[in-house]
Order: sequence, then structure tokens, then C-alpha cells
Amino acid sequence: MIDFVLILRILIFPGFTFILLLTLFCDWVERKLEARLQNRVGPMVAGPGGILQPLADFIKLLTKEDIEPRDAKKTVFKFAPLIAFTIMVFAMCFLPIDGASVLSTTGFNGDLIVILAFSTIASFLLFLSGWASGNPYGTISSARVLTQFLGYDIPLFLLALTPAFIAGSLSMFVIAQSQTIPYILLAPWAFVLFMIAMQAELEKDPFDVPDAESELVGGLETEYTGAKLAFLHLTRDVQIVFGAALVVELFLGGPYGPVFFGLPAFWYSLWFVLKVLAIVIVTEYITTLFARLRIDQVLSANWRIILPAAILSLMLTVAIVTWVYPLV
Amino acid sequence: MPKSEIDIISVIESKLKDKVQIQLGHLGTAAIKTSNGLHRDVLKAILEVDEKTGITAITGLDLGANIGLLYHTHTAKGFFGICTEVPKGNPKIQTIIDIIPGAALHELEVADLLGVVFEGNPSPRHFLLSEYWPQGVYPLRKDVKANEVKLNPASAEENKPPATGRLVKLIIGPQHPALLEPEKFSVTVDGEIVTKVEPRLGYVHRGIEKAAESRTYVQDIYLVERVCGICNPCHAYGFVGAVEKILKTDVPPRAKYLRVIALELNRLHSHLLTLGHAGLEIGYETLFQYFWRDREPIMDLIELTSGNRVYGSLMTIGGVRRDLKESDAPKIKTVLADLRKKVPFYKKLYQDERSIRARMQDVGVLSREDAIKLCVVGPVARASGYDIDVRKDFPYEVYGEIPFKEIGYTTGDTWARMNVRMDEIEESINIIEYALDHLPTGPIRVQTSRYVPEGEAVCCVEAPRGELFYYVKGNGTVSPERVKIRTPTFANIPSFLQTAIGENIADIPPNFVSLDPCFSCTDR
Repeated sequence: MIDFVLILRILIFPGFTFILLLTLFCDWVERKLEARLQNRVGPMVAGPGGILQPLADFIKLLTKEDIEPRDAKKTVFKFAPLIAFTIMVFAMCFLPIDGASVLSTTGFNGDLIVILAFSTIASFLLFLSGWASGNPYGTISSARVLTQFLGYDIPLFLLALTPAFIAGSLSMFVIAQSQTIPYILLAPWAFVLFMIAMQAELEKDPFDVPDAESELVGGLETEYTGAKLAFLHLTRDVQIVFGAALVVELFLGGPYGPVFFGLPAFWYSLWFVLKVLAIVIVTEYITTLFARLRIDQVLSANWRIILPAAILSLMLTVAIVTWVYPLV
Repeated sequence: MPKSEIDIISVIESKLKDKVQIQLGHLGTAAIKTSNGLHRDVLKAILEVDEKTGITAITGLDLGANIGLLYHTHTAKGFFGICTEVPKGNPKIQTIIDIIPGAALHELEVADLLGVVFEGNPSPRHFLLSEYWPQGVYPLRKDVKANEVKLNPASAEENKPPATGRLVKLIIGPQHPALLEPEKFSVTVDGEIVTKVEPRLGYVHRGIEKAAESRTYVQDIYLVERVCGICNPCHAYGFVGAVEKILKTDVPPRAKYLRVIALELNRLHSHLLTLGHAGLEIGYETLFQYFWRDREPIMDLIELTSGNRVYGSLMTIGGVRRDLKESDAPKIKTVLADLRKKVPFYKKLYQDERSIRARMQDVGVLSREDAIKLCVVGPVARASGYDIDVRKDFPYEVYGEIPFKEIGYTTGDTWARMNVRMDEIEESINIIEYALDHLPTGPIRVQTSRYVPEGEAVCCVEAPRGELFYYVKGNGTVSPERVKIRTPTFANIPSFLQTAIGENIADIPPNFVSLDPCFSCTDR
């Protein structure tokens, strides 16, 4: 028997269409906010307040000529952006959005690890896309992507384990559901460190070393045009929403919040969107505040500050969970 | 005359005796005529007296049978022209780069445009001219007819060997987001570390020096303004100032003050532009947007005083073309007061913001010794503790009457260079306000003859980017015999080539933008 509800959930809500629209909306919020913070007006032509601008940009890129450089490794060059996008959307499908995730209602124990692994694979595919483009700027940018995400993935994993320890489970559902008090209040140190590591993972200022346009032109996107570039951009945007959603699930109580009337699923999705927006706004605010660091400064910040701090944070959490919680 | 100048002249006289002819007051402090080969001895003698000796420019002249070479030399308080000649048939002269390394690019330029061979300074096939330019044709020689030159499309640039092994060759330019104008730098990198920088200038070489010879003096004012859009009043003043020296014109005092106001407004907008642009280069877009927002009112002031936002064309031979209305002075003061209120915030940002410091401090460090050796000018020199400022050293117009501070830093890094500009904004506001308060009444220009007598003169201006040098030679007609322009970026490029080596790729953009590079200036 065909499960129509599941198909609807995958295709429309809270699956593909919802995630896509949320991504484009967050992109608009980012652009508008950054523009206002910098004394500009930002997008304002397509739709009210320019809200349709990200969609318009996406469609415009789809109509552009698709050029493949002679020196590119064709297969990887073609498929890496597409697969990266697919994997990011797939990873989003495991997150509880309207109280349940897209694919299965309660998830499974260990899906936190799976989701983090997916995001790592997506970053790796982005690295491959730049590496395969056969352009020195792309090559150097890819090398920077690799160095940066190798460095920051470790603290990110360690810090993601903090909520898991408090909840006593590796399932996103249990972690999100057990936050009657959001973990941002129980483990604020882990939240701050997680946000910093996330900023680096998402390659946003002050960590946007891989696409430093004044040194590397377009970074790993230099040789990309048309539909492939559109998907690269979209992958980046989904990554940002994914990062924000991960913070929401791990530290802000996931989609769960007060239900006033009617369907809980409606309220849960609303809380989810609002919380994601809040995190996106915070990351964008940090982005506008800083200059870009240099790759060696980014790495030394990672190995000398963030990683030891992440390990300390994990030890602290374990100690508190083991010895302090039983007392309360 | 200050003591050091007398020292230099007496030392030269005692050392070289009758081998030199000294003409006081000509080409700056004094012109020293000597024969081929002795120019090195004269230079060494000057260097002995004053360690702050540098080459401003080398002017090549077509004198018929010979090619004249003028080595314009600046010391702490004097400006000397060392004149020598080489025969056209065998134009060989010994290089001076072993005495003053900063002269290297100047020699290459003369070699490319006049065909002088500098022994000891091997020149590439072309330095400023296009690769398609035929060999053996030297455009600044008088016998070259521009419309008879046949370009040679077959002779494309020779392929330099690609980098091997660990090394990657990054081509920055001719089109690159870090460069606002076309110029090529081939950077060889080992991982992220720069090991070699090879420049190729000349992508915007328009032959303005040659074009000036075929136009009248009045047309030339507008032509030289087109050397550079950003500092165009400085170029206009440099040319006009040199012509006025040949004509021996006395400019009315009101015109002098109006010129100073125009030059300082220009400095304000140029510095705000660079300070913002530096933000863009280090990925600090917010800073960029803020600075450029605050630059707009200054552009409006330029429009108010000259009639145009960018090309004011205010300067003319004998004065200025447009008077300042009585009602305009308060408007200017209001805008400047607004800017003055914002300066402390920006200053704090540049001094204290941690990500700015992380990206700019200890990047591209140029020591004082190197700054003097490489003959750098302007904010780049002042950031390295090398205190040269034409406004103080050789005051032109009314800069001698206006009190202002010469900004100096000693660390010589990118951070210091940007902070020099930051502090100069305040000084420029002070100068403009003083000039407005003390603006004399009277005519704004005097009529001069269209014919400029035989003679030559130099004029130096402190442009926003540093000392801008003009040499004009008149021949009694309505067109100049020779116009030589040495722009500040041309003098500052050697410092980038030296300081970029051994640093990170990511340091190239902030290091480079701290020179405030302008390639349409450099190439002319």
C-alpha cells in the first residue's frame, strides 16, 4: 500500500518544499539584516520588501549558460554540488520539525551521529567540487575548506555530545523532548562554544577564509556557472539553516513549546521556524561585526582554544551529570 | 637657505670642482650639470651629507643628438636635479640601483620609453608598453610618428615556465576582485606562503606624457587630470604649478587658499575611500559601507566648490576657475563638523578593533632603512617613521601659513599605514577650516600668456597617496616640449614587492591596499 501521508510529508511539509522555502526565507532575512546593519536597504524589488529575491536569484541562475572548464574533472565537477545539496536536505529530514521528523516519527537512537556525519560528507563534497574545477583559486579554497572543517568538526562533535549526555540519549527526539528547561540554560558554556564552532563550520565571518573574495576571487565557486552554481549556493544556504536547526534541537528545546489551541504540529512548526530565525539572526549579526581572520589564525584559534575548551566542556558536563544531578 | 643645502652644494663643489656646473634655484634647490658617469659621484656626495636622500624621478629628454637624463633627487630639505646627457647613437649609462635601489623602476621606465641602456639594471622586453609594441621604437623620442608605428601582433608575451612541485602560481590580475584597476602580479606560493612576486605594469598605459606634447597648455590641464580620477586636483595643480613657475606668475592669495581647500577636500575623500576599501579587503564589509556612506557628503562638498563630483577642473594657469560663494563656507563647515564628530569612533575602531589588529598588525612591515632605500613616499613612508611630507618640507601655495601636524608612526606595518590616513583626516579638516576662516578677498586668477617661454620647472604636490611630481619643459610655443609625471603609487610599488615575500596569501590584499594603489596613475 502506498503511504500517501508519508509522500506528502516528504514532498510538501515538513519535507522538501518546506525546507526549501525556509532556506530561501532565511537567506532573505540574512541579506536584509546584513544590509540594514550596514546602512543599506538590501533586496527590495522582487516581492514585498524583496522577500522573493533569493528565489528570483535561484531561478535566474538556472537559466544561465552552463560552462564546464577544460581542466575540470567532469564527473565530480558535475555531481558534487547536486549530491551535496541532496545530502544536506536528507540530513534535515532527520530533525524533528513539526514534533516528528520527516522520515520516521520518533527517529532512532544514534541519529545525532548520522546527522553530523551527513553534514561532514556535504562539506567534503563541497571541497571536492572546488578541487575538481581545475582552477588555482578553487584548489586553494578547497584546501582551506578541508583544513578548516577538519579542525572544527572535532570540537563540534564533542560539543554536540554535551546535550546528549544531559539527556542520556543519542536520539534527536529524546534530546529535544527532554528539554523542559532548555539546555542553553543548563550548559550555557557549551552553547557559546557550539555557536563559535558552528560559525566556523558554516564558513561565516570571522571564519569565511575559504571564500575570501579579495584573495581567491569566487573561492571554490570560481569556475561554476548556471544550475551548478545555483545548487552550490543553495547547499550553502541549506547548511546555514541546518546549522541553526541543529542548535535549536540541541540547546533550545527543539520544536517543542507551548501549544495554545488546535493542532500541536502547527505550533511546533511555528516555534521551530522562530527559533531557527533567532539563531540565523545571531550568526548574521556576528558576521557583520568582524573582519575575516587569516587561515593560520583560524586554525590556531581552533587547536589552542576551541578544542581544549570543548574537551573541558565535555568533562564538566559529564561530571555535573554524574555527580550533581542525582543530588538535585 | 638651510644649512644642509649649503653643505650639499659645498661638498659637491669641493669634491668634483670644475667637473660640475651648479645652477642655484633651478629644478628645485639647485640643478647640477655633469657629464655621463659622474652622476654617480654627485649622488654619492649628496648621500654622504644627508641619509634621507632618495630618487624622486628620472626624466628622459630628447635633445636632438643627445638624450638628456635628469635625476630628480630629494633630500630632507632640498630638491636637486642632476643633469647628464648620453649620445642617441650609443645611449649607455651606468645604473644607480647599487647606490639607491629605489631607482630601479624609474630606470626601467626610461629604458622602455627612450631606449636608454642602464648598464647593471637589465630591463625586460617591455616595462610599460604593450607586448605588441615593436622593438627599437621609443615613443618619447621626437622622431617617432605615432601613426606610423606598426604593432607586431605575433610577438605575444613569452611563456614563463609554470611553477613546479609544491609551488602554485597564482595570477593576481589583470582582472581580479582585489584590484580595482588592471595590473598583473604573478605570485608564486608554497602552500599559503608567498615566495615570489613578479609585477607586470602598463595595462593602462595611455601615453599621456606623449599626448601632452601635442596639445596646448590649457588642454593639457584637462588631460593630466585624467591620469587619475581620485586625485585629479593634485594632478591639475602639479601641472599648473610647474607652468606657473616657468611663466613666473604670481597667483592671487585668494586663489591659493581656494586651491588648498580643493586639495584637502580631495585628500579627505581619498582617505575615506581607502580606509573603507581596506575593510573590504579584510572581509569587513560593514566598515566599508560605513566609510563610503560618510564619504558621500565630502563628494557633495567637492561638487559644491567646483561644480562636479569627481572632475572639478578647478585649477587653471594663474589661479582657479571658480570662486567660493559667501554662503558656501558655513555649509562646508557644517559637513566637516559632522565628519569630525564621527572621526573618534572610526579612530577607535582602527586602533582597537581586534579582528582589524589581527589582520593588519605586523603585516607588510617596512623598516625605516628600507623605506628610505626604496624611496617610498606619502603615508607609506610616514608609517615607517620616514618623515617626508611635501606640505611641510617644501611648502607650496599657503601650506607654510597653515598650522597642521605631520602624522608619523614607527611600526611600518599595514596597521600603521591605515592609521596615518585615519589621523590625517582630522588634520585635513583642521586645514580646511583654517583656510575658510582666513580666506582673503581679491581676484581668483590672473591672465597669463598662452605662449610659455623656454624653460623648465618641477612641481611637487603632496597627493593623498604621497608626493606627486611634475616636470614641465616649455619651448616658447603653446605646447610643452616635455611633461614628466611621477605618481606616488609608482614610487610605492617596490615596497609591496619586498614586503609581500614570506607572508601569507591572505596578507596580500591588506598589505597591497595599504599603499592605496592606483594603476591608472602608475601607468599614465
